[in-house]
Amino acid sequence: MREIAYYEAKFEALNEIMAADPTVHLINGTFLSLSPHRHVYQALAKKYSDRIMSPPISELGFCGLATGAAMAGLRPIVDISTGSFIFEGWPQVANEAANAFSMSGGQTRVPVVFHLFHGLRGGGAAQHSASPQAMLWNNPGLEIVLPSSPRDVKGLLKSATASDNPTIFVDHVQLLDLKGDVPENDTPIPLGVADVKRKGSDVTVIATSYMVQRCLEVAEKLVNDRINVEVVDPRTLVPFDMATLMTSVEKTGRVVIVDETHQSCGVAAEIAARIVETGFDKLKAPIRRVATLDVPVPYSPPLEDYIGPRKDRIMEAILAVLR
Amino acid sequence: MLPQVPRETLLDFCRRMFVIRHFEESLVPLHDKGVFGGHYHLYIGQEATGVPALSCLRADDYLFTTHRNHGHLLARGADPKRLCAEILGRADGYNKGKGGSFHTVVTSLGFLHTSAVVAGIIPLATGTAYAAKALKNGRITVCLFGDGALEEGAAPEALNLASLWKLPVLFLCENNGKYGAGRAAGAAQSTTMAAFPLTDLPKAYKVPAQQVDGLDSGAVHITISQAVEKIRGGEGPQFVEAQTVRWPGGETNWPVVLQNTNSSLAWDVSGVPDKVREWYRSCDPLLIYIRELVDAKQATKQEIADIENKVKADIADAVEFAVASPYPKPEVAAQEYFA
Amino acid sequence: MATDREKPTELVPLLRKMWLIRAFEEKVSALYAMREIMGLLHLGIGQEAVAVGTCSLLRADDYVFGGHRSHGHAIAKGADIKRLMAEIAGRATGYCGGKGGSMHIVALDAGFVTATGVVGGTIPLALGAAFAAKEKNKGQVAVVFFGDGAGQAGAFHESLNIASLWQLPVIFVCENNGYAEFTPLSSHTLIERLARHAETYKIPSATVDGNRVLEVRNAMSKAVQHARKGKGPAFVECLTHRLRGHYEGDPAKYRELSELAEWKEKDPIARFMRELKRRKAVSDKDIAAIESDARDLVEQAAQFALDSPWPASDEVASQVTA
Repeated sequence: MREIAYYEAKFEALNEIMAADPTVHLINGTFLSLSPHRHVYQALAKKYSDRIMSPPISELGFCGLATGAAMAGLRPIVDISTGSFIFEGWPQVANEAANAFSMSGGQTRVPVVFHLFHGLRGGGAAQHSASPQAMLWNNPGLEIVLPSSPRDVKGLLKSATASDNPTIFVDHVQLLDLKGDVPENDTPIPLGVADVKRKGSDVTVIATSYMVQRCLEVAEKLVNDRINVEVVDPRTLVPFDMATLMTSVEKTGRVVIVDETHQSCGVAAEIAARIVETGFDKLKAPIRRVATLDVPVPYSPPLEDYIGPRKDRIMEAILAVLR
Repeated sequence: MLPQVPRETLLDFCRRMFVIRHFEESLVPLHDKGVFGGHYHLYIGQEATGVPALSCLRADDYLFTTHRNHGHLLARGADPKRLCAEILGRADGYNKGKGGSFHTVVTSLGFLHTSAVVAGIIPLATGTAYAAKALKNGRITVCLFGDGALEEGAAPEALNLASLWKLPVLFLCENNGKYGAGRAAGAAQSTTMAAFPLTDLPKAYKVPAQQVDGLDSGAVHITISQAVEKIRGGEGPQFVEAQTVRWPGGETNWPVVLQNTNSSLAWDVSGVPDKVREWYRSCDPLLIYIRELVDAKQATKQEIADIENKVKADIADAVEFAVASPYPKPEVAAQEYFA
Repeated sequence: MATDREKPTELVPLLRKMWLIRAFEEKVSALYAMREIMGLLHLGIGQEAVAVGTCSLLRADDYVFGGHRSHGHAIAKGADIKRLMAEIAGRATGYCGGKGGSMHIVALDAGFVTATGVVGGTIPLALGAAFAAKEKNKGQVAVVFFGDGAGQAGAFHESLNIASLWQLPVIFVCENNGYAEFTPLSSHTLIERLARHAETYKIPSATVDGNRVLEVRNAMSKAVQHARKGKGPAFVECLTHRLRGHYEGDPAKYRELSELAEWKEKDPIARFMRELKRRKAVSDKDIAAIESDARDLVEQAAQFALDSPWPASDEVASQVTA
């Protein structure tokens, strides 16, 4: 099995998607963010220059353009880039794209992908660090995808693009250099299928996006303490795979949820509520959430480090549910 | 003046304008009797813009419209039965009752999505235009909106994108505001839009723009045909501002019909209530049109009355159909929101 | 145009301020290279004439708003460079206690209300300050700096419209450096001059060479007087050039080197020094002293910043709400 970097897997996905489907257009293009690897995207831009557009700084305009293009036979992937900028195009994403299929009684499909980078990135401060996926989960009509590994980003980007629904592809810059196994002839990963990233028996840690990697590191440390952590990655919020989560919850009875959205009404809050409703009798301890604190993201490095789902908080939560 | 089209087409325009007028008027008592609720917006007073303008399009072109969509849908040939059913929230409505007056969608006629957010459709129109250009299918997009939409940031963003990427889209702004046709030269500045004339806005983005009298069906027809031809020829976007005088019945929160239309008003408004008589005498595009038809000897008063009576019967049927249509089953609410 | 009527005593302080900004930005850049400063950093090297030409005309109680590239604007308005440097370095002694960083400067003591990381984000805010100023009726004005990239944002248009309709005392200052992030303006719009949009909304406008501080000052003087007298908004477009990449770390390969060489010749500071020497307002010795004074002050600010403590962890929960 070959091992490649996350950004390479993402680039492979874009290349294969563009080659396979001439209706896929890219609107805006920082799919590799400000990563030093972003030059690989230039090769793609050259090859498909007629299907890649660089719009002005007009998120409202180009999110709407992508939505309209999706209604008319294209499958655009829009790069919103920094997740916070979705707020500039919010009316088109949340009020038009999300509603179109339902509101029309099923007449109009909107196969658009809105791609963004969420979360704490090191000095992003309050306006470049948003994780809007919790708010978007509360806005019906949108699929939401969060990859956490090279194999996932490739397989999920393909499925997101193939989906006939408006899809939010929530990526994270801290994942770009991560290395992982990606089969030569991989298949798309269906939406709505969670993944057990690490098998364990003592506690179920549910994590999303970059937090999956952080939890795997914490799990490795806890081996010395003879604590065997199972890490479950939902991979998609909508559609949501409850069955895989509950299989793990039934096995361990102890749950910690680690996610980068802010605590109040965050992703962890919703998952916790669903587990309690579905399998309260399976729980041996209250569920613990480890989320970003409910404060605007501060700039200074020690402050930014402090507010996120830190390793020590994850550790402490795991130990707490085991008591 | 009348459009330069064959007589059958002139009579067809006449019929469509009557369909719009009588359909819209029929909604008011339905609303007032509580048969449907919520806000709704009527196209009365703008028929001579919508009908000739939309006749310039091909069957596979895209159209976007707003909360004031009934007239556009009917001008394009939507079935009054299914439109009325949708407004009443019934299962036989175009959107199966899920959209209502604000959001009626008829994909077979090119209406893919109807937004009630002012300017919500303007960026979308650049999208369908972009897709048509990319897919090389020759379709153009017509984006229909009112004067208020230009106040929203989405409008200049979309104008810029359309001009920058030379998108095949016609921006048709129906200015029925006080500062449209109703504005006397030198009158007070609009309190909500500093640009005047409105065509300055698209021109600032190098989108060719012109104004047309929205009450003049012939002027509208020729202006729109020429604009459409330029767009189809690959010249990029065009902007047309059509000016009308706001129908007085639309001034209040909910529409009020102080005078039911019938063709004889074209020649005698003595029976019209004082408050609205002047509008019907000189600003009603439908009455202007039928007067022109008769003056040009393209139809007799009787022929016109016959067309109108047939339309009235059809509208009555549509209302009956809609009222008899069942409501959707409650569980439909949780269905069909993902493809 | 610059006139010879301005006295050296009025002009030399402008040079001092421009040098202070230049020295500050160069020091910040050096600290970033040494990884003493983290995150996103946007420098205004080469755009000092606009900041100084504008702010030198403002009162202490006038409001100034900036964007992500606003160190120079804040300094020109009178911000304390120690506290500014400390903020950019994320220290507890910074203007925002380390919470804002480079893109979110707030220096209320100097009347610099706020910057933003969102392109065009402060344009509507400046409207608000102008609205309040009009209500207070003390002749205050609001000034907002933004780049050519903001011209395509819907909020820009909405703000021009409202400012014109309500005759608000706001001055829109567009620094047109020909690039929005990484691509040239021409790939963002067919319009070359954003002042064209001011015309649409019937706002008086001027387009000036943003690299000539006196030309900027002259245009601003008219704009400020216009607004202060209650005659409504004004728009000044300053054509200038960004001498570095969009952000530190951006190698700016997307521009021709020859283009850069040409503009280095138009460096606003070098130009102004030549002008002052022509007027015999300064000697070479004076110039050397001005530069070294600026660098000394900046060194002290840097030292202050690096010696300052980091904010304490429990500060994250402080001042979230009033």
